[in-house]
Amino acid sequence: MYKKTLALLLVSLMILTMAFTGCSKPETETAAPAEEIIKVGWMGSLTGDQAVWGQCELDTVKMLFEEINAKGGVLGKQLEVIGYDTKGDPQEAVNVAKRLTGQDKVVAILGPNASGNAIPIAPVLEQAKVPDIATVATNPKVTVLDGKVKPYNFRVCFIDPYQGAVAAGYAIEVLGFKKAAILYDVADDYSQGLTQFFEEFFVSKGGTIVAKEAFKFGDVDFRPQLSKIKDAAPEVLFLPIFFKEAALIANQARELGITVPLMGGDGLPSEQLFTMAKDAVQGTYIVNHVDYDDPEVQDLKNRYKTKYNKELELNGYLVHDAVVVFVDALERAGVADSVKITEALETTNVKGVTGQITISKDTHNPEGKDAAIVKIEGDRYVFQQKYSAK
Amino acid sequence: MDLYYIQGILMLAGINLMSVLGLSLLTGFTGMFSFGHAGFMAIGGYTSAMMTVNYGWPFIPALLMGALTAALMSALIGKLTLNLKGDYFCIATLGFGEAIRLVLDNVQYFGGARGWPGIPNYTNFTNVLIINIIAIIILANIIRSRQGRNMIAVREEELASQIVGINVFKYKLISLMISAAYAGIAGGLMAHYMTFLQPKMFSLVKSTELTIIVIFGGLGSISGSVLGALVLTSLPEILRSFSNWRLVIYGLSVIVIMISRPEGLMGGYELTPSSMKKLFTRMRSKKGNLPKSMEGGDTL
Amino acid sequence: MSRFLQQLINGLSIGSVYALMAVGYSLVYSIMNFSNFAHGGVIMLGAYFGYYYLTKLGLPFFVAFIASALTTGILAVVIERGAYKPLRERKAPFLYFIISAMGASIFLENIVIATIGPTFKSYPEILSRTPIQLGSVTLGRIDLTMFIISAICLALLVFFIDFTKMGKAIQATSYSVKASALMGINTDLVIIVVFALGGFFAGIAGVLFGMKYTVYPQIGIITNKSFIAAVFGGLGSLPGAVVGSILLGIIETMTSGYLSSNYRDLIAFVLLIAILVFRPSGLMGKITEDKA
Repeated sequence: MYKKTLALLLVSLMILTMAFTGCSKPETETAAPAEEIIKVGWMGSLTGDQAVWGQCELDTVKMLFEEINAKGGVLGKQLEVIGYDTKGDPQEAVNVAKRLTGQDKVVAILGPNASGNAIPIAPVLEQAKVPDIATVATNPKVTVLDGKVKPYNFRVCFIDPYQGAVAAGYAIEVLGFKKAAILYDVADDYSQGLTQFFEEFFVSKGGTIVAKEAFKFGDVDFRPQLSKIKDAAPEVLFLPIFFKEAALIANQARELGITVPLMGGDGLPSEQLFTMAKDAVQGTYIVNHVDYDDPEVQDLKNRYKTKYNKELELNGYLVHDAVVVFVDALERAGVADSVKITEALETTNVKGVTGQITISKDTHNPEGKDAAIVKIEGDRYVFQQKYSAK
Repeated sequence: MDLYYIQGILMLAGINLMSVLGLSLLTGFTGMFSFGHAGFMAIGGYTSAMMTVNYGWPFIPALLMGALTAALMSALIGKLTLNLKGDYFCIATLGFGEAIRLVLDNVQYFGGARGWPGIPNYTNFTNVLIINIIAIIILANIIRSRQGRNMIAVREEELASQIVGINVFKYKLISLMISAAYAGIAGGLMAHYMTFLQPKMFSLVKSTELTIIVIFGGLGSISGSVLGALVLTSLPEILRSFSNWRLVIYGLSVIVIMISRPEGLMGGYELTPSSMKKLFTRMRSKKGNLPKSMEGGDTL
Repeated sequence: MSRFLQQLINGLSIGSVYALMAVGYSLVYSIMNFSNFAHGGVIMLGAYFGYYYLTKLGLPFFVAFIASALTTGILAVVIERGAYKPLRERKAPFLYFIISAMGASIFLENIVIATIGPTFKSYPEILSRTPIQLGSVTLGRIDLTMFIISAICLALLVFFIDFTKMGKAIQATSYSVKASALMGINTDLVIIVVFALGGFFAGIAGVLFGMKYTVYPQIGIITNKSFIAAVFGGLGSLPGAVVGSILLGIIETMTSGYLSSNYRDLIAFVLLIAILVFRPSGLMGKITEDKA
């Protein structure tokens, strides 16, 4: 019995220790006194299947804040980021939003990157009156629900219907493809959304979807679906998915003798695509947020690479713009107050690396943002043209 | 600590507790192990959300409808799989949970994988608390009833129970249905707490979490389940500052807890005034007395 | 017809991946009678070891292959000592083993994310990606290699279990741990050997998986499929694990190819339930009798 009591004591001690370390104030990177600091929240996946993007976002925000602070900060105050992991889980996202707004008292939140996380935090934001700037949450319902704009949700990326229309329009009007096949992830919200809008627009422009096949997140072998797609003889294979699956699909498609070009949305661009499937993805068209040849984009990319010795993922560019939009709103608000910042956010018109960002008061989306079409040639994303769907 | 944040965690713990209570009846008192309880939560959540959003039902009847649907679904699955042994039943429930999720991913009526936003925010701290208290009282009564004792008999010695005339299959089925109904209510509470449903929320990880809570709290102990739900729902929150080391520590804690106190926090005991008294007497006599199920069979 | 043949080859190739993963799992099950959910984590680490041996140490492929299998063999024993042995000594019920195994699997996946990072790694090209053409049907070189390596390893395993003294001890222990211990078999040693073998197979599976697809911390998701495959075949039976895996691979492929890829897993699940309703111990599982 003594042994058991001892074990129980040890376990409770362990939990208590954790509780205390958890409750203690997170270490601040700057030694400035509290009133000289503006706290900004970040949320996203640091663990789980989306961790690649989350880590990159948080690293980028840290880097940008360091740079801003070195130049004297904003409104004479230092910026500090408090970033928490959501595991990509909606339930965790709500907890994080409550913690950031309730306990850490941040003035604004950057992220999350997943639409499924950005949607459920809306009631929390409304109650706390803290604005959120989502990075790559492309579901229209993130900012507008049943025709009503959500007062505290903003984003810096374009939305699924737009992206789907751009991809379909470019495929059918510029490239002249009439028959498309789609291979999508049935368990993923981003993939389902993009698929739906691509299909609608492609068909409305007179094209036909000759095959629409699905896989489920976690799959690594797509040859059963690809064999079926091969028989349908499409002119282009649309992949509304992320780059890991896309790279595997590209390799397996080529093995099966599918030679048609591939096409994808903003889930595809990554340096990783080349290490995994360089030969197989040649000639792929991608609807992207950024034009990699732009000098400002190059500059950000190099700064990140020098600091972390890693390649900057696409999310890094968008979180950069979220930071730009936030800093701009903060400066115009003139005071670190979340309601004033929200008001300022509604009239944002600022230039980021992904283009001019003009937030619409009615939708809280950046309006009139062109998509950049890039094509993979060698190990580069070659800029084709700016394209917007009509 | 901020009250709003704490309340959020407590509500989440309360919602988890609803499923855990059901699972506790199934695993702790009847001796069956399920990996598909997130599936029952999903059924309850989507059904009750459908009732409130599309048919304008009030909250409580919608919750009960969710519970009923989950229970009926479990009866169907139970009919087919309850005769299976140990791990076979486990994998069957695992497959069931994943199958439910796949169906929800595909059904566009419920928003598919993109989720279902705009569910009214009916869940609040008070009704979670009241529902949990009612649930605990009902569960405690079930366990003390004849049915409950029969379930425990099934857990202890399935074959012997059969011989003395207990209809093993029937009690397993009742236990599964009640536990699915509890999970269904938890799903409904979750839907009206998050105001958003997405099949991703009901993954295998969620089922695993629930099972870990039951075992952590102690098999065959309701107060253990309550403590377990409180501790293990807040543990990841407490560990939040560790960012990506958080789950490393969580995984390690699970192992440490299992090997240092495998009978769980409460180990089959209940926190009632009389049990506290007994505990002190036993501590004085320095002799532990584990319930039979904790000693293990002759597997090893 | 050629489409059917192509899908059959696809199914066999997917099935053989499941089989390699299921064997180590089934081996442990046959002795310990619990589902070792940490097996997926060990497979994942095997893939990472293989990757680092090949790229950082620059070892030739076969050396790296064997080295990572040995490393994961040791790792599996370490996990057994840390997470399961204390439970065995307490004679804890199988639920505790499963939970402990899950803790281990959460731990392994996340320690990789925290240290190595969530980004995936791709193996250097060891075999050409150009497939072999047989008429209108294509056959991947990696698939063929994988099939042959799996067959050789399985043959060696069967030889080990049927013809060596240790193998006989494993058989006896799987029949009854208590009786074997009474007969003078060092069951603790047998358990170490079984975990080492399971880990060795996990390493092989990991390296081949990484070579064929890629290496990332969530490989464990696929191993759930191999658990289901092992149940199909009958838990604890090695031939069952192989047959169940190949069968699951073919069923999945044919479902995607001819019925619906959206509902593939649902149909596979319905089939699983159907098999279990008629054969409650899987296709080749040992029929366990209740001991009164």
